[in-house]
Amino acid sequence: MSYFADSLSAAVELITSFDPALYDVVFNSVSISFIAAAIASVLAIPAGIVMALNQFIGKQLIQHTLNTLMAMPTVLIGLLLYGLLSRLGPLGHLELLYTPSAIIIAEAILIFPIMMNLAIAAVTAADPRLVPTLISLGAKSTTLTIQVAKQTRFIMLAAIITGFGRAIGEVGAAMMVGGNIEGYTRTMTTAIALETSKGEFEVGLAIGLLLLLIAFLVNFILSCLQREKA
Amino acid sequence: MTNAYQLDRIKVFYQQTCALDLPHLIIPNQQCVALLGDNGAGKSTLLNLLAFLNPPSKGQIKLSGQKIKSTLSPEQRRSIGYVNQQPFLLTGSVSDNIELALKLQGIPASQRPQRIADALRQVNLSHLAKQRASTLSGGELKRAAIARAIAHDPAILLLDEPFSHLDQNHIQQLETVIEQLAAQKDKTIVFSTHDRLQGAALADTTINLIKGRVTKSPLLNVFHGQLNQHLFDTGNIKIHTTSQQHASHIAIDPNEIIISNSELSSSMRNHFTGRLTAVAEEAGTIHLTIDCGERFYAIISPEALDELDLSIGKSVCLSFKSTAVSIF
Repeated sequence: MSYFADSLSAAVELITSFDPALYDVVFNSVSISFIAAAIASVLAIPAGIVMALNQFIGKQLIQHTLNTLMAMPTVLIGLLLYGLLSRLGPLGHLELLYTPSAIIIAEAILIFPIMMNLAIAAVTAADPRLVPTLISLGAKSTTLTIQVAKQTRFIMLAAIITGFGRAIGEVGAAMMVGGNIEGYTRTMTTAIALETSKGEFEVGLAIGLLLLLIAFLVNFILSCLQREKA
Repeated sequence: MTNAYQLDRIKVFYQQTCALDLPHLIIPNQQCVALLGDNGAGKSTLLNLLAFLNPPSKGQIKLSGQKIKSTLSPEQRRSIGYVNQQPFLLTGSVSDNIELALKLQGIPASQRPQRIADALRQVNLSHLAKQRASTLSGGELKRAAIARAIAHDPAILLLDEPFSHLDQNHIQQLETVIEQLAAQKDKTIVFSTHDRLQGAALADTTINLIKGRVTKSPLLNVFHGQLNQHLFDTGNIKIHTTSQQHASHIAIDPNEIIISNSELSSSMRNHFTGRLTAVAEEAGTIHLTIDCGERFYAIISPEALDELDLSIGKSVCLSFKSTAVSIF
């Protein structure tokens, strides 16, 4: 108990002393996850809206695939991406392996199906009069997608925040394609894994507490948005 | 003159049920048309077709003489304004809603403020321009939706049950709005209502719908049942007809029903005795409701009412010819 309490006390000291190395990891992690969430949302939300608004052959198959991808282990995404980005892989010439870009791609792939599914659910759960009203007012394909996104913006924002939360907590793929390089590709989760394995439990705990704080903030914003929508 | 709409061989199915069956229907240009019918008669389904929100399962629709295959051109979409039975206003103020509609219809930004002001003035809602749409009352919401639908000056205005769920004050306000819109000679207005008298009062033409079919019969004395050997069985009474064809509905024109204090000896094949349950005056005629196992409506003159000395609860006889029975 003393060990845990001492570690916790050391972790709080690390946080309150604004240790640059610690906050460098936090900044790196937040920026990578933010870019990944931005890229995924730009692709997933319009795709989800278009899919929800249209009936086409293969829709069920896409839905099943999305559900499967949501449950896919992140290590598997890391493994596949590693194969693609490694020197001998088909995208090896891009030299992205062990760069922040590789982690961004991995996290974007990871959260794309989550965001798309949430976007589909947002449109499906929207007022059934929304789409006929917009069509009757003259909205067509692109304008319809934009207007539906605007009218369901709180749920779409919730989808983006959920994706960001999932990305920042990711460890398996980030470790495999990022390489956990200090000051470059080290994220909060990979740092926790490394510091704990080195026996630096208090450092791991400090990062863990900051990660918890970020998760709390994300959920706080999410609940504020839901209150605003209500 | 080209018709606003021409519908040919239209059928709409919801799963296996035929909700609308219109072999041929014309909606004339620049007229105010009322779609009359009970709940489930197919009024909203027809209006959704006319607004091109849902395609028919079968058949063809011509809009202003042009055959519509799948989607409307921007010009065709601009020619139609549609207001849902329960209008959905988007987030923002009343003005924001109209502004968005004008933007989607491609109206230049410079023209929008004037058009918003004009539309709101027409529905007498100028004072609520900046009010959030979510805070409007039922009547205000319907008028705001009408303002949004007319702001781009469509040639055709479709209103689905505009008077439903409104109090008398809001109904009168809306009736005035529709009358003023109908007075603009370049407008075609199609609205649905289950109030036959209201429809007849506001519209130039009425279309009666029963179970998805247009009928020329007035929507009074409509009975559901089975026809067998000239005899239509409603389950409660049997009515003589002249038809042997298969039918599940009949209607009797209330003007064809003869009221008497005792059973008449005549060539009429249908005689029933019942109790007078309601008497109402409408446009100089007397409307009687008589319960004979089925509820019949009959129209008589005020003089006949005096002569027969009718009062609520009194037993009366009603008679009509089998040829007065319409079958569909």
